[in-house]
Amino acid sequence: MKSRRAKFVAGLTALVLVTAACGSDDSSSTDTDTPATTAAPATTAGGSDTTAAPAALEGTIVVSGSSTVEPISIAVAEEFAAVNPDVNISVDGPGTGDGFKLFCAGETDINDASSKVKPAQLEECAANGIEMIELKVGNDGITMMTNTANSAVECLSFEQIYALTGPESQGISSWAQANAVAAELGETGTLPDAPLSLVGPGEESGTFSSFVEIVIEEFNEDRGQDATTRPDYQASADDNIIIQGIQGSDTSLGWVGFAFAKEATDVKVLQVSEEAGGECVTPTDETIGNNTYPISRPLFIYVNKAKAESNAALAAFVDYYLSNDGIANVAEVGYVSLSDADLASLRDTWSTRTVFAG
Amino acid sequence: MALSQPRQAASLAADLVSDITRNERDLSGKAFRIALLAGIITAFVVLVVLIVDVINVGSPVLSERLGDLLSSTLGSKPETSGLSQALRGSFYIGVFVLLVAVPLGVSAAIFLEEYARQGRLTRFIDINIRNLAGVPSVVYGILGLTVFVQALRAFTGPDSNGRSVISAGLTLSILVLPIIIITSAEAIRAVPNGIREAGYGVGATRWEVVKSHVLPYAAPGILTGTVLALARALGEAAPLILVGATTGFLTSGSSYLPSSLQERFTALPIVISTWSGRPGEDWRASTAAAIVIMLAVVLVANAGAILLRNHYEKKR
Repeated sequence: MKSRRAKFVAGLTALVLVTAACGSDDSSSTDTDTPATTAAPATTAGGSDTTAAPAALEGTIVVSGSSTVEPISIAVAEEFAAVNPDVNISVDGPGTGDGFKLFCAGETDINDASSKVKPAQLEECAANGIEMIELKVGNDGITMMTNTANSAVECLSFEQIYALTGPESQGISSWAQANAVAAELGETGTLPDAPLSLVGPGEESGTFSSFVEIVIEEFNEDRGQDATTRPDYQASADDNIIIQGIQGSDTSLGWVGFAFAKEATDVKVLQVSEEAGGECVTPTDETIGNNTYPISRPLFIYVNKAKAESNAALAAFVDYYLSNDGIANVAEVGYVSLSDADLASLRDTWSTRTVFAG
Repeated sequence: MALSQPRQAASLAADLVSDITRNERDLSGKAFRIALLAGIITAFVVLVVLIVDVINVGSPVLSERLGDLLSSTLGSKPETSGLSQALRGSFYIGVFVLLVAVPLGVSAAIFLEEYARQGRLTRFIDINIRNLAGVPSVVYGILGLTVFVQALRAFTGPDSNGRSVISAGLTLSILVLPIIIITSAEAIRAVPNGIREAGYGVGATRWEVVKSHVLPYAAPGILTGTVLALARALGEAAPLILVGATTGFLTSGSSYLPSSLQERFTALPIVISTWSGRPGEDWRASTAAAIVIMLAVVLVANAGAILLRNHYEKKR
């Protein structure tokens, strides 16, 4: 009994010592680390170690930001970490805005973003002396489709898409029934009185959240609705089943990611206009590439310039991100790859470390 | 009249006894019993349905790649992602709770019950501690963010911006502190006063009474509180999100103890909540498998504490 208590006390004491040791360890390591990260390339940390090979990369890379871009960054990080085991990488996806808060506080090295940096975010970063390099790594795009037999519909406005698929459309079974809501939103065109058979990706899919974020969120708040689609449509996680559903009914409406829709045959791709009466745009590589097609958005990574210069591991990571192997992950994850010209200018922006000024 | 009274009283008593014991007349009692039964059955059925469902969904992962799941790291594909970092993070969080929250909580309870003069101040403190136990866990997350992640960054992890397992462990320790204080104080209060008086009677000091009589007697109750606290800490996700647990990808760097505690981390509930949001059947199965493993971890921790409690119960 007594000896056990003694052991317990000894254990506690040991813990206190360890904690104390780790506390003091800490302050000394900060002192030595800080100059290394600001003044000299990260390899100096290994340089003091006589056994370390100078070629092995060491350092820490912290990526945060958009959950839309997160899968690309995770895939790139996995491949990079496999080759560079001594580099510590962490990737998170709290959202573009939250990510910029961390980025502008200097906590993260790279911010993933599914929309261009906002002037306020740019100012916040500038106030903290943080310069960023904007790198557009890909595009996110969604194609609206109907059956090839459907000749009554050529182009849909965002208002009409919201009226057909948004939370307020629950229960409607004909295209024409969406006219009332669309008209309230300012749409003057009318949809045909034909049965509406809706197919689309299920709630668990990334395409679903992109669709909601790009189209539905334009309207839902003003209309006092939740940011979601109507629940009563044929949902599938499998793009092939969505395409089959569109082919299966003469007046169907469905949507899938552009990268997949490009390969689909025997469906009619609809044009989309961002506002009622606006210009109708067909989704193509070009219109997605320059984001003139409304249901598309650019996917960015923003790199902290000063850290990219001081942290060799970070620079190597971005190098790999933009390499052919790294950037291939954009398409692998399901997004739209950049055109060759865009890729060339992207690499140029990075190699010259061009700071984004707004 | 007065003479016949005892007889009447006797028959009245017999009537009463039969009234009480004869079930068919005790309708409200019966209803109460059925309500109680319904309560336990509901709780049990929900639990069984939940466990069966989770095991069912997770069974492909559990049977095909259990070892792989336990030893792999976070990743982008469900086939290769694993929980090793999450298990490590949750383990350290448990250790922090046991080494930080339990000693502090038990000490506070001893002080409140044995040393502090009972009065308005102690009652005020007592009420506040009870209130703290009901504060939403996100609030503790904000506390952890401002105190451990930001203010004490130099200690909790200068290279990880304080977003380390030390911050997480300390935040969750504070979160469960009120639970430990309340249950320990209850346990200490339940120690019969005769035990204390006997101790004082043979000339023991207050410290000796507490150490050799009150604490051993209260140990089972204190351990029950510890079990509750540990399970709560292992299951919390919200405060860890604020403290900055990593959700997407993480390479485990240094495996040396003091420094690895200061690095970025993740934990089981965080991984479960992240994976559950990812698309596709495979992630769903991986999430279910992670939940099963989380249940197993909590069960093992609880079983350990229950064994300890039984050990102390036998002793007293």
